[in-house]
This record gives sequence, C-alpha cells and structure tokens, in this order.
Amino acid sequence: MFMSQVLDLMLEPFAYNYMTKAIWVSALVGAVCAFLSCYLILKGWALMGDALAHSVVPGVAVAYLLGLPYAVGAFTSGIIAALGITFVKRLTMLREDAVIGLVFTTFFAIGLLIVSINPTSVNVQSIVLGNILAISDEDVMQVIIIAAVSLTILGFKWKDLMLAFFDESHARSVGLNPWALRVLFFVLLSACTVAALQTVGAVLVIAMVVTPGATAYLLTDRFGVMICLAMVIGAATSAFGAYVSFFMDGATGGLIVVFQTLVFLTAFVFAPKHGRLAARRASRAAVAS
Amino acid sequence: MSILTTMLTWITDPLAYGFMQRGLVVAVLVGAVCALLSCYLVLKGWSLMGDAVSHAVLPGIVIAFVLKIPLAIGAFAAGLGCALATGYLKQNSRIKEDAVLGIVFSGMFALGLVMFTKIETDQHLNHILFGNMLGVQWPDVLEVAIITLPTILIVLARRKDLLLYCFDPAHARAIGLPVNILHFGLLTVLALTIVASLKAVGIILVIAMLIAPGAIGYLLTKRFDLMLGIAATAAIGSSVVGTILSFHIDAATGPTIVVTQAAVFVMALIWSQRPRVAISRTAALK
Repeated sequence: MFMSQVLDLMLEPFAYNYMTKAIWVSALVGAVCAFLSCYLILKGWALMGDALAHSVVPGVAVAYLLGLPYAVGAFTSGIIAALGITFVKRLTMLREDAVIGLVFTTFFAIGLLIVSINPTSVNVQSIVLGNILAISDEDVMQVIIIAAVSLTILGFKWKDLMLAFFDESHARSVGLNPWALRVLFFVLLSACTVAALQTVGAVLVIAMVVTPGATAYLLTDRFGVMICLAMVIGAATSAFGAYVSFFMDGATGGLIVVFQTLVFLTAFVFAPKHGRLAARRASRAAVAS
Repeated sequence: MSILTTMLTWITDPLAYGFMQRGLVVAVLVGAVCALLSCYLVLKGWSLMGDAVSHAVLPGIVIAFVLKIPLAIGAFAAGLGCALATGYLKQNSRIKEDAVLGIVFSGMFALGLVMFTKIETDQHLNHILFGNMLGVQWPDVLEVAIITLPTILIVLARRKDLLLYCFDPAHARAIGLPVNILHFGLLTVLALTIVASLKAVGIILVIAMLIAPGAIGYLLTKRFDLMLGIAATAAIGSSVVGTILSFHIDAATGPTIVVTQAAVFVMALIWSQRPRVAISRTAALK
C-alpha cells in the first residue's frame, strides 16, 4: 500500500505533458553540451563557453522585441561578440581573459538594459535563469533542430576536431584545415549555448559545457570513452534535475547544475585511477614499498 | 548659454530626489573600489576569478538569511570558500584551473538558486542578482562606505607590493615579500569589494565593474600609478553619468553604468589607436 503510494508520487511528474517535455528536452541539451565540453576542458576554453552564453543575451532581447526567432537573434549577437573579442585583442596588448571578460559583460549589460527599457517583452529571469518548464513548442522545435544537426556533425567530425585541436601539425599533414574546423566548432558551440540558455539560463550554461567533460576526464584516459561518458552524465543529470524540479516547484537550471557538480565531486573522490582515494592508496603503496 | 543650463538641469534635476542622491553616493563608492581592484585583476589575468567569486557568494547570502547574520559575512565566507575550493581541486586533480573555477562557481551559484526557492524571505532574487541601487537606504550607504573606504586605503597603501606580486610572484618571494599573505590578501579584498557592490550592481554585473576600468587605464598609460588614477576617474565618471542617464531613459541603473563604461573603453581604444604621425614619418625616412 505504502509502496504504491511512493510509486504514484514518483510517477506523478510524467502525468504532466510539460514535465515529460522538459525532461527529454533537458536530456537532449545536456548530451550535446557534454559532447562539446570534452573539447572545451582539454583546450582550456571554459571561459569561452561562459562568454558566449552571456553575449547572446542582447540578441535574445531584441529577437523577443521584434518577434523574430529566438535563435536568430542569439546567433547574430554571439557572432558580433566573437568579432569584437578578436578585434580588441588584435588592437591592444590586453590579456585575452580581460578582453573576453570585457566584451561579454558589456554585451550582457546591453541585453539587460534593453530588457529593462521594455520590461513587458520578456522576463529577465527566464533569460538569466532559464525556464524549461514553460518552453514553447516552437522553442522545442529549435532545440531539436540544433541538437540533431550538432550531434550529426560531431558524430562525423569528432576525430577530425580532436586532431585539429590537439595536434595541429599532424592534422595539417593529413589534409585537414584546422582553422575551418575551429570555426565549425565555435558555430556548434554557440548554437548549443542558445539551446542551453533555455534550459539552465545564461549564468549556468558554463556548467553544462564544462562539468560533464571534466567529470569524464577524471574517469578515463581515452577520448572516445570520455565523450560517451560525458554525454551519459550530461543527459542523466539534466533529465534528473528537470524531474526533481517538479517536487521543488522550480529552479530547474539550479537543480541540474547541482547534480552535475555532485557527480563531479563523487568522481573527484572515488574515480578509479585519478580520484583522491586512488591517489592516496598509490602514495601509501609507494611509501610502503 | 541655454545649452549649458539644459545640461546643468539634466544633471541636477534627478538629484532633487533622495533615492537618486543615495544611489549616486553608492555608485561612486563602488565604482572607485572596483576600479582599483580591476587594475590588478587585468594585469594578473584574474578576470575569471572575479567572475567566479562574484557568482559564488549567492549560497552564502541565502545561508546568512536563514541564520539571520549580516549578509555581508555570509557572502564573504562563500566567496573565499570558492577561491579555496578551486585551489584545492586544482592541486589534487588533473583538470585545468579555468575548468575547475567554472565547475565550482556554477555549482555554488546553482546551489544558491535552489536554496533560495526553498526559504521564506522578504528579499527579491532580482535585487541580489542585479542590484537595487535606487532602493538603498542611508544605513545601506553607511555599510557600503564601511566596507569600501578601508578596502581602498589598504589597496592604495600596499599597491607596490601587490603590483610586484601580480607581475612576478617569484621575484616578490625572492625579495622577501610574504607572497601567500599577498595572495590571500588580494582574494580577501576582492571578496570584500564584491560584497560592497552587491546592493549597487548585483552579483552578475559586478564583474564588468571589475574589468573595464582597469582595461581603460591599461590602454592609456604604461605607468601603474597613472593607470590606477585613470581607472578610478573613468569608473567614477561612468558611475555618475550612468546613474543620471538611467533616470532619464528609465532603465535599470546597473546595466546603464556598465554600458557607459564600455563606451568609455571604446573611446580609449580609439584614442590609443591614433596614428603617431611624427614617429611613422621618421621611420619612413630611414
């Protein structure tokens, strides 16, 4: 009797259309972002993910204002921000991190300024913190298209990307174009950032494109395995976060990222080879011998 | 003459309101302290650190609500906790520092969001995230002054040591400076600055105040003392103009200040690119 009550309670979210939608859309976004995160954490590009997520905000605000598709505005302002970063970096001696920080915070502030002048067009919290539980069908369509295209391209190109990023001269010698692959990667990243924006919001996108890859990196030394692990972690934590948010009345983005961080910390302590416990065992064995 | 009068009334009209006076005082204080810090962050490459610490204070603020202690203490502890946790995780795993910072601060920010939805509070999440400069009361102004003024004094008094530490930690250690104390001192000052900026610009935009002024100063001079002065002037000027502008165009104050600073940066960028005619001519002659 009691068991069936618990079961009813646990299955309750699935009775609501918006919940099932939120759960599988989150899982999809989590998986694609996790794929990209493997490259970002190995290249030291964590700040790029954060910067892109903030830079798209003015585009989103203008798109809402003019009734354009969300993704078009986001994409445009993301590209303008990337050009701005390149431009300022070329003209000045400023450190790269300062230039990136300067440009993305400015874009973010412009976005907030536009929203604050037209408070009716869009709720600022849904941009900054995400609002997957109220995602519209058109936005779901956009996310599906983004995810499907990205996964297909990544599926075909993941080895080329790996080669181009981590062994450029070798990549060149086998006839790849590292520059074109880099552009391709950043186009995919900004598209996925737009998708992630709706799930967890601009502030937490960085977790989606960093944490699963970092977790997987602690668990394996092989890049192919790392990608698979990261995708499983990203999809599972995102789906679970969306599911639990039903019982918490909201904060979907927050919950997803909290679960991603918990999985990371678990891997940090218990990972078979690179975890803290394994390292301690190894050093004790070394002392004993 | 009439243009001058119009400009003057444009500036003085908003000041007839008490909330504008208080907002302006806070904007100037916060602008000044952020500007000083930004010079060090820009030189040391700590932009992401500033971003991380500012986001990570959220759970500290929420816990401070629950425990009914001053918000500043909770925020300060959480900000410092973020920096320490990042150091620990980086030292004990093979993950790069930027990724570790990203993981820690997004995790803490997310935790803060989740906790916020579960507690009863009279605070608005929007005010914490974006600041509420025009809603500050005189006791708040006093609190901001108590945090910012000593911070400004400390940074100015130790500016040479901090500069050496930022540029060349090995040299700083070699001549006997307490490098660890300087490191944590800088982190502490950073956390304090972010706490002070909370009420004015909120935890999301403070990072803009912590980068732009330093970058402006860096573009215009090669001398550090001058850089501090330019950064502070640019930041205070932008704070005043931004606050008054936001009154006239009816926009949020924090973002307006940040966009004003960005405009100053663009002007500085153009100025720094001015052709040095004399030099290029002599070069051409040779």
